[in-house]
Amino acid sequence: MTDKDGLPNMPFRLSRRQIISGMAALGAVAGGRNALAQKRIPIPEGEFVPLPIAIPNFVAGTPGDAEVGVGVAQVITNNLKRSGLFAPIDQAAFIERITNIDSAPQFQSWKTISAQALVTGRMTRQGDGRLKAEFRLWDVNTGQQLTGQQYFTSPEYWRRIAHIISDQIYERLTGEKGYFDSRVVFVDETGPKERRVKRLALMDQDGANVRYLTKGSDLVLTPRFSPSTQEITYMEFGQGDPRVYLFNIETGQREIVGNFPGMSFSPRFSPDGQRVIMSLQQGGNSNLFVMDLRSKSTTRLTDTPAIDTSPSYAPDGTRICFESDRGGKPQIYVMAATGGQAQRISFGDGTYSTPVWSPRGDYIAFTKQGGGQFAIGIMKPDGKDERILTSGYHNEGPTFAPNGRVVMFFRDPGGNGGPSLFTVDVSGRNEQRVPTPGFASDPAWSPLLS
Amino acid sequence: MKVKVDKTLVASVVLHVLVLGWTMVSFSTRALEMTPEDSVPVDVVSPDQLAHIMAGMKTGKKENPKPLVDKIAEAKPVDDAVGKVSEKAPIVTDTSPPPQPKVEEKPVEKKPDPPKVVEKPKEEPKPIEKKPDPPKVDPIADAIKKEEKKPPPKPVQQAAKPPEPAKPKTERAFDQSKIAALLDKRDPTRQAATGDTLNSNAALGLSKGAAADNSATWGAMFKQQVERCWKKPYGGIEAQRSEAAFAIRLKRDGSLEGMPVPEGTPATPYLRVYQESALRAIIECQPYRLPAAFFEEWKYFAPVFTEQKT
Repeated sequence: MTDKDGLPNMPFRLSRRQIISGMAALGAVAGGRNALAQKRIPIPEGEFVPLPIAIPNFVAGTPGDAEVGVGVAQVITNNLKRSGLFAPIDQAAFIERITNIDSAPQFQSWKTISAQALVTGRMTRQGDGRLKAEFRLWDVNTGQQLTGQQYFTSPEYWRRIAHIISDQIYERLTGEKGYFDSRVVFVDETGPKERRVKRLALMDQDGANVRYLTKGSDLVLTPRFSPSTQEITYMEFGQGDPRVYLFNIETGQREIVGNFPGMSFSPRFSPDGQRVIMSLQQGGNSNLFVMDLRSKSTTRLTDTPAIDTSPSYAPDGTRICFESDRGGKPQIYVMAATGGQAQRISFGDGTYSTPVWSPRGDYIAFTKQGGGQFAIGIMKPDGKDERILTSGYHNEGPTFAPNGRVVMFFRDPGGNGGPSLFTVDVSGRNEQRVPTPGFASDPAWSPLLS
Repeated sequence: MKVKVDKTLVASVVLHVLVLGWTMVSFSTRALEMTPEDSVPVDVVSPDQLAHIMAGMKTGKKENPKPLVDKIAEAKPVDDAVGKVSEKAPIVTDTSPPPQPKVEEKPVEKKPDPPKVVEKPKEEPKPIEKKPDPPKVDPIADAIKKEEKKPPPKPVQQAAKPPEPAKPKTERAFDQSKIAALLDKRDPTRQAATGDTLNSNAALGLSKGAAADNSATWGAMFKQQVERCWKKPYGGIEAQRSEAAFAIRLKRDGSLEGMPVPEGTPATPYLRVYQESALRAIIECQPYRLPAAFFEEWKYFAPVFTEQKT
């Protein structure tokens, strides 16, 4: 049997959809015997469906580890479920009970419950007090182990281990970097509406481990993470003019960024963490300045009789996007990070504000106001492909997850309530509320911690 | 008088009512009797696809090299009679020039142009020998050729070629046995050409037609089934072109004969994930219910999972 002739690809339509797929007919003739013509059948555009995944409780290496084994499985399950890309299967449906992760599971019993992926793991307290976490990710249909890792950590960091494992699973099954091992800094709001106490707070991206960074005596706004995830820059109304501050998460130290006359606000780190870009008020106008954190030297980027604010760097640090009303209404502009000619990129109805560049570089998220509504949207850095992710009475302050696939923002329903945090996929799907202890606003997502 | 009118009127009315009533009942019930027909699955085939199906494969196998006609008329002993006719022909040729329509039945082999025909007479024996291949056989022409077999040596007859058909006509009156012979010959040929001897797979595997391509049918069935299991990974909102092709072999029961063989190595993590998701789907969804009649076609094929966003 020999392939004698390979015909070139020919267009072949199978459905009314405009799917044209290659069609190659390989004729094989051997002594007048059966010809094996391998017909190509296009399977176009399956609908995206969350992947059914089974995550049994991690096996306890020692009797005392059962609780953490359950906890880790729960955190992973919650992470994957919230991502909208996975459909964790209820543990009650499980047929096989995993007792040993070193032998292959009985895949048939996982196929029966329609799982396509299976996570098995074990938590073991070591002699030195550390916690060992092991996991394996299995492809149920092929019986292959897709990935497997082990980690050592202090027992109190078991949640982080769970997040890291979640990222591993996410990355292996989606081909994308994960974002679970990350934090969010936000403004925690408590008290009645007229005397709201605003504190800077830090939490894991899933809402756990909330820590308060400030006492709430002063008003804080627009916190932003440094690329090192160790520092936060934000604006605070103290006595006198609002100032941009730098806050070290580990030490709790804080300092004023620069010493400028007038108001400084809407700060953000450069991607290398060496500089902070912000707005400085000058009379009725405000312009963009960048300050080198080491040399403390300040460079002016814009000089217009308008309000330029909310600057955000592209991930490669070469360009910035910002908001300006130089054209009459607030719109989004892009310009080189060193200043110069700015190019307007937002042209829709209404006004655009709070632009933020995705860590992937592919999109800029913004708040859009118009028609009595505030919407969160994204657009390409050249202004094309604008897409509104959510809209309503008041949505504001988008921030990207480390992988650029999810946007977090805050929503204020109005009335006597207060704002809370939400996430939404950049496709506009899978909107989820992020649990916070009280009201919350102005979220900023950290880069991946590891 | 009145009574009489009433009677006829009543009779008329009654008759009308009866007849109309009967027709209503009988016809309406007839109309209701409809035999339920089986639904026939129909694939929408685009012009492109149709063109492809009709395009054919040069490498297709010749499953049925039968000629269009099974039976080819045999030369009959009529030759003798014809021979006689031919001898008389030269006399007639001078008087009957009109070319007969019957000559046109063999336009492929013979050019009707008189000038060329002049050169052809000598070649004619060849077409006669090849006759067995082309199924079209005209008994009369055949007979005529046979007639000519003998004449060619005579140079005089070259010019006489076009009028050939005319010869028999003129001779009918003279020689009845020859006419009978001609008529006899027609029967076998005509029956063969119009009967069930036509090769139903005329285009199959020949250079003109496709090897039976029913992939639109079973391909759609396969697609429908495998899509149930395909948990396509989320590729983001960016337009991207993903494709994962496999070579798979199926058993008669629709289950996989072995592991699907992916074509090529994925270049990016996403493409790897995409390929794996497709592989999972193929495995999970077996066995496939595909029409057994086309087993030869679907026992080995290549599903191509594609994603094209516009």
